[in-house]
Amino acid sequence: MSICSQYFPEEPKAPVVATQEHPSVKSKVGIASLGKVFDSRGVYFVADYQKSNGNYIADVDGNVYLDVYAQIASIPLGYNNPVLHEVAQSDKMIRAIIDRPALGNFPGKDAEEIISEILKVAPKGQDKVWSALSGADANELAFKATFFWYQAQKRGYNTEFSSEEVSSVMHNQAPGSPELAILSFERAFHGRLFASGSTTCSKPIHKLDMPAFKWPKAQFPSYKYPLDANVEANKKEDARCLAIVEELFKTWSVPIAGVLVEPIQSEGGDNHASAEFFQGLRDITLKHGALLIMDEVQTGVGATGKMWGHEHFNLSPPPDLVTFSKKFQSAGYFFHDPEIVPNFAYRQFNTWCGDPARMILAGAIGQEIVKHDLSSQAARVGAYLFKKLEAVQSKYPEYMRDLRGKDRATFIAWSLKDAAARNKFLVDMKSVGVNIGGCADDSVRLRPTLVFEEKHADILVAAIEKVLSGY
Amino acid sequence: MYRAVKSNPLKRIATQSKRFVCSKYFPEEPIVPTILSSHIPGPVSTKLNNELGEVYSNSATYFVADYFCSIGNYISDADGNKLLDVYCQISSIPLGYNNPELIKAAQSEEMISAIVNRPALACFPSTNYKQILEDGILAAAPAGLDKVWTGLSGSDANEMAYKAAFMYAHSKKRGENGFTAEELKSVMENKTPGASDMVILSFNKAFHGRLFGSLSTTRSKEIHKLDIPAFPWPKTPFPQLKYPLNEYEAENKAEEDRCLQELESTIKNSSKKIAALIVEPVQAEGGDNHATPYFFQGVRDLTKKHDIIFIVDEVQTGVGASGKFWAHEHWNLTSPPDIVTFSKKFQAAGFYFGNPDLQPKQPYRQFNTWCGDPSKAILAKAIYQEIVKSDLVNHTAQVGDYLYAQLKALLGKFPDKVSNLRGENYGTFIAWDCATLEIRNQVLLSCRAKGVNIGGCGDASIRLRPTLLFEKRHADILLSVLEDVHKAL
Ligand SMILES: Cc1ncc(COP(=O)(O)O)c(C=O)c1O
Ligand SMILES: Cc1ncc(COP(=O)(O)O)c(C=O)c1O
Repeated sequence: MSICSQYFPEEPKAPVVATQEHPSVKSKVGIASLGKVFDSRGVYFVADYQKSNGNYIADVDGNVYLDVYAQIASIPLGYNNPVLHEVAQSDKMIRAIIDRPALGNFPGKDAEEIISEILKVAPKGQDKVWSALSGADANELAFKATFFWYQAQKRGYNTEFSSEEVSSVMHNQAPGSPELAILSFERAFHGRLFASGSTTCSKPIHKLDMPAFKWPKAQFPSYKYPLDANVEANKKEDARCLAIVEELFKTWSVPIAGVLVEPIQSEGGDNHASAEFFQGLRDITLKHGALLIMDEVQTGVGATGKMWGHEHFNLSPPPDLVTFSKKFQSAGYFFHDPEIVPNFAYRQFNTWCGDPARMILAGAIGQEIVKHDLSSQAARVGAYLFKKLEAVQSKYPEYMRDLRGKDRATFIAWSLKDAAARNKFLVDMKSVGVNIGGCADDSVRLRPTLVFEEKHADILVAAIEKVLSGY
Repeated sequence: MYRAVKSNPLKRIATQSKRFVCSKYFPEEPIVPTILSSHIPGPVSTKLNNELGEVYSNSATYFVADYFCSIGNYISDADGNKLLDVYCQISSIPLGYNNPELIKAAQSEEMISAIVNRPALACFPSTNYKQILEDGILAAAPAGLDKVWTGLSGSDANEMAYKAAFMYAHSKKRGENGFTAEELKSVMENKTPGASDMVILSFNKAFHGRLFGSLSTTRSKEIHKLDIPAFPWPKTPFPQLKYPLNEYEAENKAEEDRCLQELESTIKNSSKKIAALIVEPVQAEGGDNHATPYFFQGVRDLTKKHDIIFIVDEVQTGVGASGKFWAHEHWNLTSPPDIVTFSKKFQAAGFYFGNPDLQPKQPYRQFNTWCGDPSKAILAKAIYQEIVKSDLVNHTAQVGDYLYAQLKALLGKFPDKVSNLRGENYGTFIAWDCATLEIRNQVLLSCRAKGVNIGGCGDASIRLRPTLLFEKRHADILLSVLEDVHKAL
């Protein structure tokens, strides 16, 4: 029996399309009513999680969609996964929910065990973790770690702060609040708080009207597809982009303490780059004494066919920090260098320093992925799906440009001719029972769970064909 | 080992305990602290903490706790010590450890679903999210504020409030016009006019969090800020009141007037538009610094006059501890704050607002993957309902009055060691200063050794942050330990 069937014997066999409109009547009422107290303008539909099962999400109007968006890439093991249900009812979880500790001051007896579970699936070369609450939070805490480390390198790890540092910092001025930068890439997405927002470069609407640090942006490779027909051109593209990074290190007005990059730029359009490009970044950061931060918030936890997306690149030495959130349910960063822990207490600190309830869940998710080798399953299903999509592409090339994500399991995307065509496609897919998401202006991305199998791929591909055949 | 057990007042308290609201929740709560190890942290705690240190930064650990054995106002540690807890996870435990009503909430179908099916709330909210908000977070909303946006921590709540303020101020400036081509282009380079050059104004000694935006408004201690790039945002003095308040009324009024004048001149001289001002009802981390309703009304008036969004940070003061549900209710403002932020004891975080324009005109601007956490909103609902059912805000006001009066008498006996008792008529949100940092740290350690877990703030202050189920009998234990400790200093 397939793993999905083991978890979800009752999973629907096919989507149910109960209404003509999406969102329909009850969803619309729900959206309007919620909107009086909570911004609901981005709501797709009001979901009925009790009725959702495995890869299928139900809405209040009786529609049951095959979900390949999965809460913006954040549902790892399907809706109402029975193993997670059990974990949620465990005594350990209940204590974690009701006795939430200030983890940095009063860790519970089971903290080490909870953290060790998470570390069992840490990326190669990483053996420590600091916990956070969301992707943006994880990235900003990683920036803080980077800045502490960078200044400690200059000052000496155990050297006291100077009196100028101590007096200027209360005025938010250098040298206490130093001018240092994190380098990120055009089309990157790293979150929407002030520092993460300063590194995000996906769309103006994500950034407008917020104060931002003047941090540099390099260019991320734009490849020609299919990759195997454009090897030379793409190699040149890597070299061009790496030269820009190198140039920014030399010329930027303030020192660059870290380079932040997604293994696949997700919100920004599912833009891929080669192992050589990432190794090039690793080399440049080493050369200039900066840290390399891999943002695995969206790529992490199995969806690319490896537990962590950057494991495809075999980086040497491994990245300095790897951030995570979304499908892991718990957020934070992995690292290995003990000097990334600041020299004094209360520097990398806040009230909760994470959330054991979510960390317990992360541990359980990691265990299930290992137990059932779900990364390999994702790779297998992804290869199957990619082939089928290639066939669709040859029939409807105009609606499936730059099909990408080969050998990246189900982390697949393609583009349409413009935003209008893409948006129409996303809406039309609901009318054939598939909940699917976009990225950038003109692209479609697949972000199913790790229990998405060949049978779901068949339904998805049939639905796509049905929509495209009407165009 | 615990000598205080044998003293009379405690026995008397023990026999009375059944009458109290806390016993309703915790019939098995310890009567007094239990100290089994010769030090805290004891050997088991130390061993576990060393193991933890291999994988997780542990330099701020007080002791390793045993939450399974903690109950009510008592926190148990890994060595079996049971301490009366008046620090409560940095002021974030509302109803005691292992509260049976919260256990029920944690076991509910609603909670289990929220844990295993965490939604991207702003895209796929569940059928019951509105009801969860209405029965909890919104039912508790401060007067005049009827909408909420949810986040994940105090820092997160404040930063989202800043975003709301920036977007509001720019939108007002822009009027009916859309974004200009220049804005759309420059923002991708993090440059004005697309990126904002507006600022948030905060007070000296304020604490609003530790991410990059919130940290730029935090002014508590150097160690909180060093080595982190910050925005060049302005600050202005917070009143330093003299105690006891009734003896220094004139001086204190003059001090508040001075700070209001400085505030107005900071506003007038700011070369950048001030989008928002943020203030805590009591500057907690910065030393439990209070100001009077007169001062806060003055701040409200100036923000109105100069078209500045007025944000009240109730992350630490909110949810009953001050003897009102929200501490800013003590001020009786002529118009409500524009935004009130919360976290900690509510377990859920976010901000309240009233003006619909504080929601950006376009969707997906105040946005992120999860936009909050329904499991925490469910907990907030249960917390709110218990607070109402057991009238815990009034309860806390009464216990606080008792505790304050007793502390005044007790600390008055050690005028060269302690001063500036504050928090009168302010529930259990009480603090005082020690003569030196060394004395403060000594008191904290000695209290812990005698079975009371207590926290500091500011340079040399001690703050009380007990649960809302803290009662006179707990106060008596605290007072007796404090007396012993001060006598031995
Ligand atoms: C790569 C990446 N980093 C960071 C984030 C921000 O995460 P969050 O929305 O949890 O703050 C996202 C969210 O989409 C992301 O895709
Ligand atoms: C008044 C106030 N605001 C904000 C914060 C930051 O909250 P958090 O630690 O949850 O980010 C705190 C934390 O102590 C606080 O006391």
